Amino acid sequence: MELFFMTLTTGIMVGGIYALVALGWVLIYKCSGVLNLAMGELTLFGAYVTIYFYLMGVPFIVCIFFTLLIGIVLGILVERIFLDKLIGEPILAIIMVTVGLSFFFKGLIGFIWGTDTRVFTPAIFSLKPFTIGFLKISTVYFWSFVLAIVLFLVFVAFFKYTRWGLSMQATADDETAALSLGVSARFVYAASWAIAFMAAGVGGALLGNINGVNISIGYLGLLVLPAVVLGGLNSVPGAIVGGLIIGVLQNFAGTYLDAYFPGGVKEIFPFAFMTVFLLFIPYGFWGWVKIERM
Amino acid sequence: MTRVWMPCGYYHQDYAKDQGWWQTPVIKGKMILLLLIVFVVFPLVLDEYWLGVAIMIGYTALGALGVQLLIGYAGLITLGHAAFIAVGAYTSTILILRFPWPQFIIDWGLAYPISIIVAAIVAGLWSVLFGLPSARVKGFYLILTTMAAHFITVDFILTQYVSRIGGRGQAFSLPPGTIKIGPWFIDSDVKVYLVMITLLTLMVMIMANLLRTRVGRAWVAIRDNDIAAETLGINIVWYKLLNFFVAGFIGGIAGAFWIANLAALSPEHFPWFWSLWLVGVILIGGAGIDGAIFGSIFMVVVMELLQIAAIPLSDYWPKLMINFAFLKEMAFGLAICAFLIYEPRGLSYRWWQAKNYFNLWPFSY
Repeated sequence: MELFFMTLTTGIMVGGIYALVALGWVLIYKCSGVLNLAMGELTLFGAYVTIYFYLMGVPFIVCIFFTLLIGIVLGILVERIFLDKLIGEPILAIIMVTVGLSFFFKGLIGFIWGTDTRVFTPAIFSLKPFTIGFLKISTVYFWSFVLAIVLFLVFVAFFKYTRWGLSMQATADDETAALSLGVSARFVYAASWAIAFMAAGVGGALLGNINGVNISIGYLGLLVLPAVVLGGLNSVPGAIVGGLIIGVLQNFAGTYLDAYFPGGVKEIFPFAFMTVFLLFIPYGFWGWVKIERM
Repeated sequence: MTRVWMPCGYYHQDYAKDQGWWQTPVIKGKMILLLLIVFVVFPLVLDEYWLGVAIMIGYTALGALGVQLLIGYAGLITLGHAAFIAVGAYTSTILILRFPWPQFIIDWGLAYPISIIVAAIVAGLWSVLFGLPSARVKGFYLILTTMAAHFITVDFILTQYVSRIGGRGQAFSLPPGTIKIGPWFIDSDVKVYLVMITLLTLMVMIMANLLRTRVGRAWVAIRDNDIAAETLGINIVWYKLLNFFVAGFIGGIAGAFWIANLAALSPEHFPWFWSLWLVGVILIGGAGIDGAIFGSIFMVVVMELLQIAAIPLSDYWPKLMINFAFLKEMAFGLAICAFLIYEPRGLSYRWWQAKNYFNLWPFSY
């Protein structure tokens, strides 16, 4: 039973990070309708930028701040250079541009930093677990979770209460109406990409804290896709629920299924689950159901 | 069907002629010349290095044909095609190395040809299995399921189970002389090239023929508007699955061919990168079968040129060569983005434009 609860808490902690990255994905989709397959590389980028500054001796919080700043700049640049020109193109074109971007970023990161695993030294959070009642929680998971959730709430608050956030919501709801009310759609697109870069970047930094930074962080970033499908593509609460569920499922698969299917079942299970899930509820829990007519 | 404007004075008088492959004597002559060049001249003229490049082009084109069938003709976007190529490669290898063939089949060199066909069928069925969600979902969701197909097939089943059959690391080595077609051992680049060009020609013929039958028209109807196609009485689930089967079949052929060029088979030959690469190839190539082939030629040749350019530069900046794989990825990503933004209709459209320009030259108005 102890194993069960430990798996559950670990899953929830990791799921919090996935939820943060999934939020970025959902914001881009809501605001500009872009289905983004480059999310893995955005997390990768955040992890590498953070560790780059951290190894230079900058305090961790300042590193996160730098990651956010570079995320804003890169997000706006990417939107302006590539996606701005593709508004109204077919879905395949937009998806493949994000795939092209993901190749570009992966190549760039690999070219600059190589393939070795880097570790945050000195470790930011101690590896020693602490206990609450009968639960043992590893410190690094706990603080990553807390940071992820705080950022998640900050972004949601931005989306809900600031003027910029409201204009993003308006565009997501009805682009034409928002345009006629003087909301700049181009600003909204750029802002959504900037937020996605920031969210994914911090998510990557936190994931890098747990296992060290290497190219496989990009694969963890891809796990947001099952998460957003589970929650519904355009639902912010769906992102957090989907992220948490995927984190928990992944860890349960690693703990319990590994005995029956040795090997990489932990990495594969979210995708297998998503395939089956799509057969039954393709729009996720809170996604908008599209009814097609001729 | 006609993608070239007919010269003055040519009219089609029946439907069969309108659907013909080679519609005028000039086109017929050109195509026979092309076949002569690729079958006879290239093997005689090209040196080892460029034959290798040509084999790579052929392999890419065989893979891209399947992707073109799915994306370009049925609108089923796939990002997991390398999985079916991998299934084909593994099926063929296992059959050659493990299956207890009767002695006369080995003597006559039939094991490899039979294994190619079986591999293609197995890959096709595997593709249908992962095409089943297409009955219910499409667009982005289908992308996700094909992606999942790749991770499940290659990263899990092949890596963790299949490649461990008979001990790790040695079971799937293919020493020269293992692969034999009829009396010939496929052990030199020229022979691999000839196998490649034969298979590629066959596949192009099969695909081009399929596309001008009822099946092909049904696929195009599903691509253009699946709901309208359904109201016209097309069983869309059946035709989508058939499309997955044929695409997987061609993928299986590609995989089974590729083992002829390998010394040992391992799952690392079929990364997710390769699935995306194939989709990029058809985006750059553009519509149609020729799009898949143009795209393969362009991508492979550009990458080779990039490498040739990087070698002298690496004297000044050695990192360039060490991290060349990453440079390649960057170039590929940028190429996809640039084509989608500036020439979304791809190379085959440019080719069509050029052809028409010269067809009508000098009075092109």
